[in-house]
Amino acid sequence: MHLPDGFLDGTTALATAGGSATVLTYAVHRTNRELGDRLVPLLGVTAGFVFAAQMVNFPVAGGTSGHLLGALLAAVLMGPWAAVVVMTAVLGLQAIAMADGGITAFGANVLNMGVVGGVVAYAVFAGTRRLLPDSRGGFLSAVALAAWLSVVLSAGAAALELAWSGTVPLGVGLRAMTSVHMIIGIGEAMITTTVVGAVLATRPDLIATLPAGLAAALEPGALEGDPEGLRAGGRGRARLGGFVAAALAVSLAVAVLLAPLASQEPDGLERVAEDEGFASAEKESVLNFTPFSDYEFPGIEGDLGVILVGVAGTLAVFAGALGLGRLLSRGHGQTATDEGATPGGGAEPGAGRGAGPAVGRVPGHGPGHGVLGHRHSGHEHASTQRDAG
Amino acid sequence: MAGTHHFLTDVRYGTSPIHALDPRTKLLSVLALAAFAVSTPPTAVWAFAVYLAAVFFVLGLARLPLGYVLRRALIILPFILAVAVFLPFFDRAGSGSYEVGGVELSHHGLLILWNVAVKALISVVAAIILISTTSFPELIRGLEGLHVPRVFTLVASFMYRYGFLFLEEAGRMRRAMASRNYSGRWLWDARLMGHLIAALFLRSYARAERVYVAMVSRGFEGTMPGAVPLDFRTADYAFLGALLGLLGVVRVAVAMSA
Repeated sequence: MHLPDGFLDGTTALATAGGSATVLTYAVHRTNRELGDRLVPLLGVTAGFVFAAQMVNFPVAGGTSGHLLGALLAAVLMGPWAAVVVMTAVLGLQAIAMADGGITAFGANVLNMGVVGGVVAYAVFAGTRRLLPDSRGGFLSAVALAAWLSVVLSAGAAALELAWSGTVPLGVGLRAMTSVHMIIGIGEAMITTTVVGAVLATRPDLIATLPAGLAAALEPGALEGDPEGLRAGGRGRARLGGFVAAALAVSLAVAVLLAPLASQEPDGLERVAEDEGFASAEKESVLNFTPFSDYEFPGIEGDLGVILVGVAGTLAVFAGALGLGRLLSRGHGQTATDEGATPGGGAEPGAGRGAGPAVGRVPGHGPGHGVLGHRHSGHEHASTQRDAG
Repeated sequence: MAGTHHFLTDVRYGTSPIHALDPRTKLLSVLALAAFAVSTPPTAVWAFAVYLAAVFFVLGLARLPLGYVLRRALIILPFILAVAVFLPFFDRAGSGSYEVGGVELSHHGLLILWNVAVKALISVVAAIILISTTSFPELIRGLEGLHVPRVFTLVASFMYRYGFLFLEEAGRMRRAMASRNYSGRWLWDARLMGHLIAALFLRSYARAERVYVAMVSRGFEGTMPGAVPLDFRTADYAFLGALLGLLGVVRVAVAMSA
């Protein structure tokens, strides 16, 4: 999904770079406020982790493999703004040091994989999480849905940019990109959920976005050093209605905007068959390179039926995720609490012996007391400020 | 997965006029070349010939082996093939088409293929010259010199330092899995890779905390000491001036003839 140079025209490159720069400016501001300059090494080493995790291939089907995008994983572990900074650094290293992703397409790549895959998917995660019970199952269901969506939305954004540049027609590109990534997204969702689940079982204090109720349920002892009781309160529930509305609005907007675009172009093969009769006839205006001269930017006046299908689909996905979460939390809610008590419970099976007890706890840094606890409470504090304002 | 960082260190740190340039010069040159190439309409074939000639001239100056550069440039191939797949569908612009061995190719589609292929090639070769003649610390210094926010340069240099370490750690865990008969072929086997990545995260975070505490205890206050000084010399002015002059003349000529 790393777009090289030349696939986007100047206007699209500039517009996406502008969008990314705006979000990044805010993200740097937030990260500086929440982490401080001195905690940057922590961010940097974590970026190294994302960089390495992206290179671990996972099997998809019969020998083919995909690899992790990791934007939502980073957002859940570090918070969305730190995740954008980390993703930008990762993409920058890939673009400059490995020629993976273009220089003029850098803004678009940051927009697709950092902003859309990280921040937008995180918004979906935050909204869904508040719809679901405050339990391990609910939390992980929200992670799974948002991780899947992060890959599909990133691919969709890339297809949109390619279409705006006149490189690949919107209908064909959108369908090809999203259908492939709907499959790859399942792998992303599985792996992200497994990782978050394992971290939840071993060091829940490392998850910056852990909801208050869940933190309290998992680790009653770890909250002693929390002077203002920030993590013990029920602030997740209080603003439920607003977040449900926001998440649904975002998803519905996406469905309403994208659904008609997806259906705009008829099947490519049909089209060729149709055109075969006259295709070689006219040769004037051959060198007139204006991508959208003939098919105007499709969209707004698309038929109502398609939009309704998109809306219905979105609602179905929401209802499905909700049901899944409730189901999972009924079965797993109790055992999850037990698991939390045994560090290293979920992390080992794939890791071999090397991932022994040293993984579970940093020597000399109990949960909530180390650098992480410091960082964590900083984040919570910042989000309270945001909530108040 | 040992030796994965050959991507970056495969470079023969030779000596050439290009190696000796200031990293800022090289960064700006790549940016300028990519921007000029992307903004040139694909019908101006001669302009792309000039751009390519310039890139390969610099490649010659840098004394980089052609095979190595072309092999690394293959990274853009999947995207070009993906666009090539869509070629026959582009004929709605009513621009005419060719019949090649029974397959119909639209002129508009071929134009787009040429457009993305030549622009991607120019810019990827330029980027490869940059990274093959500049060490990573120099690159970071160059970015700092160009006023990239420090949070990015700091994060990038830490990532460079530890990313490959974690990659090899992941490789070690994969070998451990393989020696215990893991052979994932299907999507439902992917869960175990999740466990691997979880262990990798916990380990790297533990390391991050240790590194951070060690740095703070040695007086780290948010800046990295001991940076390489930058030196913008006559050769840099000459190189950048010549390149920008060439690009500007070509671009103006293209705009006039259009």
